[in-house]
Amino acid sequence: MIDILNVNKNYSTKSADITAVDDVSLHIESGEIFGVIGYSGAGKSTLIRLLNGLEEPTSGDITIGDDTINRLSKKDLRQKRQKVSMIFQHFNLLWSRTVEENISFPLEIAGVPKKERKQRAQELIELVGLKGREKNYPSELSGGQKQRVGIARALSNEPTVLLCDEATSALDPETTDEVLELLREIRDEMNLTIVLITHEMHVIRKICDRAAVMQDGKVVETGKVLQLFQNPSHSVTKRFVKDDINDEETTLALDEVRELFPDSKILKIGFVGSKSKTPVVSRVIKQFDLNMNILSGNIKQTNNESYGHLYVAMEIDSETLQKVIDALANDDITVEVEK
Amino acid sequence: MNEFFQAFSDMFSFENVKWDVVWEATVDTIYMTAIATFFTLIIGLVLGIILFLSDKSDNTGSQPVYGVTAFLVNLFRAIPFIILIILLIPFTKAIMGTIMGVQGALPALIIGASPFYARLVEIGLKEIDKGVIEAAESMGANTWTIIWKVLIPESMPALISGITVTAIMLVGSTAIAGVIGAGGLGNLAYMVGFTRNQSDVTLVATIVILIIVFIIQFAGDFLAKAVDKR
Repeated sequence: MIDILNVNKNYSTKSADITAVDDVSLHIESGEIFGVIGYSGAGKSTLIRLLNGLEEPTSGDITIGDDTINRLSKKDLRQKRQKVSMIFQHFNLLWSRTVEENISFPLEIAGVPKKERKQRAQELIELVGLKGREKNYPSELSGGQKQRVGIARALSNEPTVLLCDEATSALDPETTDEVLELLREIRDEMNLTIVLITHEMHVIRKICDRAAVMQDGKVVETGKVLQLFQNPSHSVTKRFVKDDINDEETTLALDEVRELFPDSKILKIGFVGSKSKTPVVSRVIKQFDLNMNILSGNIKQTNNESYGHLYVAMEIDSETLQKVIDALANDDITVEVEK
Repeated sequence: MNEFFQAFSDMFSFENVKWDVVWEATVDTIYMTAIATFFTLIIGLVLGIILFLSDKSDNTGSQPVYGVTAFLVNLFRAIPFIILIILLIPFTKAIMGTIMGVQGALPALIIGASPFYARLVEIGLKEIDKGVIEAAESMGANTWTIIWKVLIPESMPALISGITVTAIMLVGSTAIAGVIGAGGLGNLAYMVGFTRNQSDVTLVATIVILIIVFIIQFAGDFLAKAVDKR
């Protein structure tokens, strides 16, 4: 569906040359929700703007469907943009237009007749749950409602790709979840491909199928979301995952535990929701006659699976520990010994 | 002291005021202001949009357009109006056929006010959220659509308050033009009020000009507020 091939984007300013996107290659499947996460300045904002031609790559090719975006004529690019729509962090609605008129705007650009525009706008208003708000101006809406208008507007020309530029970053956590839920619904309903950029790991966790992690213009890690959470390999990914799980509290607690049980080993047991229906841990306890002290645990919900960690302390010799690790590994449960 | 009271009572006697002449002068002033405001609105809007669109650093090809437009705008804005009228005499004669009366005043009024309004338009357009323009681009809008459906509606309150200020400035300019023979209330105040020493006529002309200015200001404020849905 979307192919980004060896794309570079350089800016030259008076003071320095900046490489915003550095040799990035990504493949995004049709119908996928693909996330790009990175701290500010990582180049994700430039990357997403390359996808609809708001930025031109210095080198490399971006292909969406059958069209290579960076090789289209201006006219063809404008045509293509009607099918590759975008929503924004600050919604970017026209304050001079009502909800209905904002949603109709892309249809006006596409030259859709007035009657059809009105009907289509009405359908979309219902889809995003803003019925009764048609005649309101954006200034009369809350942040979440504004983003719903943004989404409805982006959907009006029945796009195949939806680009989300930090679409939930200006929203409170509850509204963020509502908007993410809406995005997932419309993906399922309209068979959209969604590319979103964010600096919030929980956005990736909530709705993305796959994600890429960016740092200094480079993609440093790509993978299925669950895999990124369970097995982050790059330090940036680890930091994002850690921030999301709020591991700091756990780390603090571990230090105390270590003092309380100086002879114990502290283990971090990682499991994935659907694979851990069987009572593996209790089986292992019985099998090896273990004494286990549960320190903390958490479960996080991702797009399609839950996963979690359990911290336990036990007095155990290295030989038995290895056996326990092997036994658990058979059930796809990972064990790390905390030092 | 007596002289002062004498002058004061002369001023309020209204004995020299010919109301039909005042009415005629008022119509001339309103006519000059209205026509000049209309053309200033169009020319200033076009110039302001050109300034705004060509002043993007990423669009290197448009730099010369900005340079030339900005130069002309600055040049005509820097010339004092009274001198501009004199400078434009050959031009005015060529296109209007006369340099006298209401017709003779219009070219100078429009050429004097348009660069001023162009800058106000440019400032108004710069206030528009860049994200909204980007959003329109992301929907596949071309430059014309962006001008008509984004730039103008989204800067409407600024455009209206800008033309209000410009129209009031034009009322003042018509009075200056009046002194050198353009007709209108300025002409009345000078030719009758000053040269014939009839201060009551000057006072009446002043009051009528003030009323016109207040009406323009009130209408402008009202409209600017009415279109502002922010």
